[in-house]
Amino acid sequence: MKKVLSLLKPYRLPMAIAIVLMLIELAVELWQPLLMAQIIDQGIAANDLHTVIKYGGIMLGISLLAFIAGITNSFFAAYASQNFGYDLRKNLYEKVQSFSFANFNKFPTSSLITRMTNDVNQLQMTLFMSLRIALRAPLLVIGGIVMALSVNFKLALGFVLVIPPLFVFLFWIMRRSTKLFKLVQGKLDQVNSVMRENLSGIRLIRAFSRGSHESQRFKRSNQELMDRTVFALRITETAIPVLLFFLNITVLVVLWFGNLDINNGTVSVGEVVAVVNYTARITTAFSMFSWIIMVYSRAIASTGRIEEVLDSEADLYGGLNKLEMVNQQGGRIEFEHVSFRYPDTKADVLSDIHFRIESGETVAVLGATGSGKSSLFQLIPRLYDTTEGTVKIDGVDVRTLEFDHLRKQIGYVPQEALLFTGSIKDNLAWGKEDASLEEMIQATEDAQIHKTITKLPEQYDTMIGQKGVNLSGGQKQRLSIARALIKKPRILLLDDSTSALDLKTEAKLLDALKQYQCTTLIITQKISTAKEADQILILEDGKMIAAGDHHYLMDKSKLYQDIYRSQQSLIVND
Amino acid sequence: MKQKTHTGKEVDRGSFIKTIRRIWRYLSEYKVFLTWVLLMVVMSSALGLLGPFMIGRTIDTYLATATTDGLALVLVGLAAVYFFHSISLWLQNYWMIGIAQETVFTIRTQLFTKLHKLPIQFFDKRQSGELMSRITNDIENVSTTLNSSVIQVFSSLLTLVGTLVVMLWLSPLLTLVTMTIVPIMFLGMKWITTRTGRLYKEQQKNLGELNGFIEESISGQKIIKSFSQEPKVIAEFLEKSEKVKKAGYWAQVYAGFIPKLMNMLNNLSFTFVAAAGGIFALNGMVSIGTIVIFTEYARQFTRPLNDLSNQFNTLLSAVAGAERVFDIIDDREEAENEIDAIDITDLKGKVEFRDVNFAYDRGEDIVQNISFQATPGEKVALVGPTGAGKSTIINLITRFYEPNSGVILFDNQDSQIITRASLRKQMAFVLQDSFLFQGTIRENIRYGRLDASDQEVEEAAIAANAYSFIKRMPQGFDTELKQDGSGVSQGQKQLLSIARAILANPSILILDEATSSIDTITELKIQEALELLMEGRTSFIIAHRLNTIQQADQILVVEDGGIIEKGPHHELMKRKGFYYDLYQNQIKTKVAKAL
Repeated sequence: MKKVLSLLKPYRLPMAIAIVLMLIELAVELWQPLLMAQIIDQGIAANDLHTVIKYGGIMLGISLLAFIAGITNSFFAAYASQNFGYDLRKNLYEKVQSFSFANFNKFPTSSLITRMTNDVNQLQMTLFMSLRIALRAPLLVIGGIVMALSVNFKLALGFVLVIPPLFVFLFWIMRRSTKLFKLVQGKLDQVNSVMRENLSGIRLIRAFSRGSHESQRFKRSNQELMDRTVFALRITETAIPVLLFFLNITVLVVLWFGNLDINNGTVSVGEVVAVVNYTARITTAFSMFSWIIMVYSRAIASTGRIEEVLDSEADLYGGLNKLEMVNQQGGRIEFEHVSFRYPDTKADVLSDIHFRIESGETVAVLGATGSGKSSLFQLIPRLYDTTEGTVKIDGVDVRTLEFDHLRKQIGYVPQEALLFTGSIKDNLAWGKEDASLEEMIQATEDAQIHKTITKLPEQYDTMIGQKGVNLSGGQKQRLSIARALIKKPRILLLDDSTSALDLKTEAKLLDALKQYQCTTLIITQKISTAKEADQILILEDGKMIAAGDHHYLMDKSKLYQDIYRSQQSLIVND
Repeated sequence: MKQKTHTGKEVDRGSFIKTIRRIWRYLSEYKVFLTWVLLMVVMSSALGLLGPFMIGRTIDTYLATATTDGLALVLVGLAAVYFFHSISLWLQNYWMIGIAQETVFTIRTQLFTKLHKLPIQFFDKRQSGELMSRITNDIENVSTTLNSSVIQVFSSLLTLVGTLVVMLWLSPLLTLVTMTIVPIMFLGMKWITTRTGRLYKEQQKNLGELNGFIEESISGQKIIKSFSQEPKVIAEFLEKSEKVKKAGYWAQVYAGFIPKLMNMLNNLSFTFVAAAGGIFALNGMVSIGTIVIFTEYARQFTRPLNDLSNQFNTLLSAVAGAERVFDIIDDREEAENEIDAIDITDLKGKVEFRDVNFAYDRGEDIVQNISFQATPGEKVALVGPTGAGKSTIINLITRFYEPNSGVILFDNQDSQIITRASLRKQMAFVLQDSFLFQGTIRENIRYGRLDASDQEVEEAAIAANAYSFIKRMPQGFDTELKQDGSGVSQGQKQLLSIARAILANPSILILDEATSSIDTITELKIQEALELLMEGRTSFIIAHRLNTIQQADQILVVEDGGIIEKGPHHELMKRKGFYYDLYQNQIKTKVAKAL
């Protein structure tokens, strides 16, 4: 609760103003019946038109005041609540951006999205309503109680005593429904997640004609969401009929005892009527509570979900150091007895990896699928931390480096080419924000994609879809290589990033890379590529089983020989 | 559901009413329950009035006269009235919640089902997050409104009519005076709701865009982190969030005007009635007693109007949400199967293209004049530079896209007379990105054929060479795959998707660069499996490995959207054209590097 509530602080003033305005409105509202009574009693009943006009004028005057107060309240209430919502989203998003991948594993993407939109909206709405009307109900109840007690303490006591247990009941309902609404939001996450999965896998689903199968799956989640929602709403809606019933019964009790007291002569009829009237008013105020319970239970449930995100500690922190940039050459990379396993898993993906890559070297990483090559790459820009051992760049432990600084040195091209909605230029600018067109062209030429771009309708300004869908797999790969090259990185990591390219293009690309003065690591399956490297690392089941150049490995490594032979047979079959 | 596509700019009023009608159509599915709800509303309103009335009488007859005889009985009667009052309140809510949520359920399901009928291009142009927002945030608006609005509208109308009748009965003249505020009210409401209506729409749209951005930036975390672009995405997020805030702010401000305006008008009408009543009374046109009672009713008259206007506003926000959902439900579907299209069950696997052209969105043709023939069981390799149009040809075979001109034939039948679903059942795919679902490995393989037994799933895994790595996983076939796919390498994903294709047992097989990131040792084994799989099936392969190409029965060389050469390897080599160059080039680089 604390974190979310603390976000209200900056808006104390507008909130206070809104509340004061609301109180003005409320005061006017309470005054109005008195004025109306005066108009009727002293004006109409006495047939005095002047009094009617006089009090009528006063009443119009104060209702104009209430009107202005109400309208102004709208501005302040909307200001506070919309800004509160904005701040919530901001805090959530910034938190999420600081998440490590271990954090991400705890929150499915679809759930993070619901929390940032739907849950924030619930809170924002609640604040808005609170600033406008919610105080009204409790104030009306309190006012009613005070008035009733002042009329006849003994008679009123009876129904005043009923109110605390009713509040306990309300509280109980609220606690229950908070839990239920939390489940509702959870189910909403699930619906959202099926939807998301379907959207990203739509081609596959089409290809296998599984539309109806998926619809069935969605229907199940949707059904659960509906059942939960119906249940939660029905529970909260039970509150009001129960409350009304008990309050009304209290009126009857007041009547009964009132009658007895009248017979005893301890109370006047007028007093009984007055107490009954106040009870009726309190009853009306109580019916607002049903709505308040629902809104607040939802809000509390949403607050819990938002706090879950805000409270989860990012478990990867950047250090404070910067790398010395003395030599413009690529960085030296050292792995010292590195072991790694993914968070919440049991088996090591990498174990006791130990090697050293000199600055400016090109190194190929070979290994069967699932041998840990991609995992090894992710440790260098510190997307994950090692479980044991140290990764060093130019002799400095990466954990002591500023994230920003560390990652600016590294051009990482992951296996799956992922581009963002926007123009080609926008995507390239990810590598270097202020890149000139010349720099872009340089990078795209080296990545062998410049020609393709010039053929596009708007060239560098061509918009590409969410995943760059208008481009083919190979084009996306080359564009994401260009994005890394434009950084002029000291360390270039190519994670099998040329797999969708034809050999001709690939060869040209690798050739162009040679002019970049950087340490290059390439994950590859191709001996032809590996052969060119200064060093080849061979991984098997997370262990580095051999390292050395082509000739050395041809001589010493059985696995390398196998791979070599297998490719020979693939290339020159006959 | 073959409605015209949305043109976007329609007269607001018309589309508003249309949307309301449409929501009503969903609700009217539950006529019986709605009638019950209505009955309960009538009952609770009646009992709600009866209670105070009886109390008034009780005070007059018992308390005022200080008698006790029979009071107990009256009070028991009153208790019964209140009991049934509560019961009817509870029941109307109970049923209405059911109706509202069933409706929301139906709309959601329809939206989802619709997605699977939309052409693939639809998804190429939209952000998933934006679409997701429609199924959560937009439908949420509909849901909140339906829960409360229907009952509120019912009971408000009921009270309104009731009060109006009593007022007319008391004094038509004074009723007329009360009515003077109605035009002002309408003008005020119109002024407000034209603004809120527009703002709600804007708000939902902005929220959708924000949702899209969040989705994309969370999916792209790896890139954002490794490029240290957190500040940039945060800035962009804030910009989008600001837009949501702005529209939301004005929507709330304007919506907030409504009850204030009504309250103001309420007081105005009261004063009018009092003043006019005074004048009429002076002239002896009405009695003072009538005026006193009348003012009481005049006050009650504006309450339901106030409620109705508030409901109207929530209705607007629901309509803003619903319209975005209906937009999709009404969007043009993947070209319908021709009416006389038939299901095919037994495809031999002959595929023929005759002068096929295709372009996205009436732009330049992506592929032109594509003609070729593949006989059953043939292996067809598509080669050519990236972006030449190979994937588009595959998309045409799978009928993700329909040609703009030309014909595609399967077993000599025009593809137009075959239903898409039945055709795709005869095909299996190993696509460029090996997409896996959240779920166990077993479930993912079984996606190829839903009724496959566990044993068949395992056999497919063995054939795809995936068995050994699956067995090494902690829970074997029952290992859950996570959303970010950690724990399974890219290559392993491909093996799984090959197993899935093997299980599907198709007559046409499509491999789209499927084997490109698998290490060569595994690939040799894979190739054996694929050889086995391709046996007797027509296969289309986009591959870069020369030997796959060499062994193909037919090679289609694609460049710039056209087939420039076709034939088996040795024929193309003899021709010394583009393919020859390509081959020479590759061999040269390979051999040079191998030495």
